Amino acid sequence: MKRLSRLIIRIGLVLSGFLFVFNVPFFWGIEKDSVKVNFIAFWEHVKSDFLVLINIKDERYLEFFKELDILVSYQYTMTILLVSLIMVMVLAMVFAVLIMLAPLKVRSRLKSMVNFFEGVPDLLVIFLFMFFVITLYKTTGLKFLQLYGLFGKKPYFVPIMTVSFLPLFLLLQFLIKTITDEQGQPYILYLKAKGIGRIRIILVHIMRNIFPLIILQLRTIVWVLLSNIYLAEFIFNINGFNQQFLKIIFMGEDFASLTVCLLMLTLPLLMIETVGWLISKLIKGKEEVSI
Amino acid sequence: MRKYKKTIIGSSLLLFLLLLSIFYPYFGPKDYNHQVLLKNEQGDILGRAPFPPSGNHWLGTNRNGEDMHWLLLYGAKFTLITAFGVALLRVLFGGIFGVFLSLWAPFLKSYVKDFFLPFRYIPSILIGFILMLPIVGGFSDASISSIVFYQIFILVFIGFPSVTLFASDVTDELLKTSFVQSSYLMGASKFHIARKQLMPYFRSYGILFTVQQIISTLHITMQLGLFGMFLGGRNRAGVFGYDDPPPKPATLSNEWAGLIGQNFSEFTLAPWSILSPVVGFFVVIVIVNMIKKELEDNLHGFVVGKKRNEDSVVKSNSYVNRGLFEFVHKL
Repeated sequence: MKRLSRLIIRIGLVLSGFLFVFNVPFFWGIEKDSVKVNFIAFWEHVKSDFLVLINIKDERYLEFFKELDILVSYQYTMTILLVSLIMVMVLAMVFAVLIMLAPLKVRSRLKSMVNFFEGVPDLLVIFLFMFFVITLYKTTGLKFLQLYGLFGKKPYFVPIMTVSFLPLFLLLQFLIKTITDEQGQPYILYLKAKGIGRIRIILVHIMRNIFPLIILQLRTIVWVLLSNIYLAEFIFNINGFNQQFLKIIFMGEDFASLTVCLLMLTLPLLMIETVGWLISKLIKGKEEVSI
Repeated sequence: MRKYKKTIIGSSLLLFLLLLSIFYPYFGPKDYNHQVLLKNEQGDILGRAPFPPSGNHWLGTNRNGEDMHWLLLYGAKFTLITAFGVALLRVLFGGIFGVFLSLWAPFLKSYVKDFFLPFRYIPSILIGFILMLPIVGGFSDASISSIVFYQIFILVFIGFPSVTLFASDVTDELLKTSFVQSSYLMGASKFHIARKQLMPYFRSYGILFTVQQIISTLHITMQLGLFGMFLGGRNRAGVFGYDDPPPKPATLSNEWAGLIGQNFSEFTLAPWSILSPVVGFFVVIVIVNMIKKELEDNLHGFVVGKKRNEDSVVKSNSYVNRGLFEFVHKL
C-alpha cells in the first residue's frame, strides 16, 4: 500500500514537473520595458495544458499529431540512432583494444589525442563535415554523398558519420579509462603470471568484467547521439522526427502532441536504462549468491 | 602557485580577450570595415560581399561586407560574460539549494529528482528551444534588458536541476566522512557543519562546477544561436539583401552564437562566416577545458564518486589491518 501511494505521488510529481518546466515562459510577463512575475497566467496555462492532456475523449485530441508523417520520420531517426549506436560501440571497442595493445609511448600520445576531442563542440564537427562534403562536390563535381534532405530525400551516410563522430571518442575515452583501471586488479596479475597473452586478457577477461559498466555508459552515449541528431536534422534540413517538433511548436501548438512526441523521443533512453537496470540487478543477484 | 599554471594562463588569455572586446569602441572600426562592393580605380565593380578570407579580410566578410574578425572581437564580450555569469548563477542557486536539500531536507531529495525528471530525458537544446521560443522566437518590441533578463533566466533554469542534484550528491558523500560524523557526535549544529567542515570543500567544488557550467553554457548558447535564439533578441532587416518582408532576423549584439545563426543560411556561399565563430567557440572551450582538467587533477586528492574501487580497497584493508586503529570512512 505504501509503495502504491508513493508511486502515485511520484507520477504526480513527474507530471507536474513536466507541466511546470514547459510553462515557465508564461511565468514572466515581458512587457514593453518591465518584467513582471505573472503567477496567475502561469497557473492558467498549467491548468489548460493539464486539461488538454487529460481530455482523451475530445475529437480533436492529438489531431495535429495524426497529420504529421510521424511513423516514417520516427523510423528514419531511430534507424540513424541505432546504426550510429552500433557503429560507435563496435569502433570504440576495436580502437580501445588497439590503443591498449600499442606500445607505451604511442599509447599515451593516442590517449591525449582522444582526450582532446572531449572539448570539440558538436556544431564544429557537423559544420566541418558539411564543408568537407561541399568542397568535395565543388572540386570533383561528384555528388556521391547526399548532404541535404531536400525533396523528401533521406540521406543516411553523412548524418550517421557526423552524429557518431564525437560519441565515438566519448566512449573510447571511457573504455580506455576503465580498462586501465581494471588492469591494476589482482586477477590480471594472476592471469599474466599464468602466461596468458595480452590480447586474450583484454578481449576475454577484462571485457567480461567491464561489460556492465559499458552498458551503463551507453545511456550517456544515446543521450549525446539524440541531441546530435536533433542538430544534424536541422542543419541538413532533413525531414526527420525532430523536424516534427518544429512543426508542432510553430504550427500546431498542441500540447498533447508535443507530449507524445517527447515521450517517443525518450523511448530509446528508457530502453537503455531498463537494460542497464536489469543487468545490474542480475549481477547483484549473482554476487549475493556467491557471498 | 605552480599547481595552477594552466589555470592562470588560460584565465588570463580569456581576460585579455574580454578586455580587448570591451575596449573595442576605442580602437576598432565602428562599421567593421563595411564594404559591400569591391571596385577598381575606374569604378568597375570587381566583386561583392561576402569576400573570402584574404590579406584585407583576415577571416573573410559576411553578407553585409563586415569583417568577421572585427565582429568576433566586438561580440566576444557578450558571449564570455553570458557564459561566465550564467555558470556562476547556476552554481550559486543550484549549490545553495542542493546543500540545503541534503542537510535539512534529505527526504525531499527523491521528490525533487522526480520533479525535474524531464531534464534527464529530453535533450537540453530541445528544452531551451521550446522555452526561449515565446519571447525570443519572433521580433519583439520588449526592451533589450527584459529580453536579456528572460534569456539569462532560462539559461540558468536549464542548468539548475543538474547542479542541484550534483551538489546534493557531493554533500551527501561529504556528510559520511568521519570528521563530519565526529563533529555531529560532539553536538555541532548543521549550520556549523556546513560553515566549518564543508565550506573548504564547497569552495574548490564550486570553482570546478562553475568551470564545467561555463562549458555547458557555451554549448547551449551556440546551439540556440543556430536556431535563431540570439542573445539580446533579434534585429529587423540587419542582413543586406533581405529587405523584402518577412525580414531576415539578424543578431543585435553580434555575439558569437548570433553570428552563427545569422549566417547559417549562407553556408554554401560563405562557409568562413559560420566556421569562424564556431572555431572561436572551440578555442574558448578548449581553454576552459584545460582549466577544468587541471582543477580536477588538483582536486583528485579528495575526489568523491569513485566508489567501486575504493570500497573493495577498504574491505581488503580492514581485513588485513584488523586490530589497528583506522578511520573507516576516509575520503
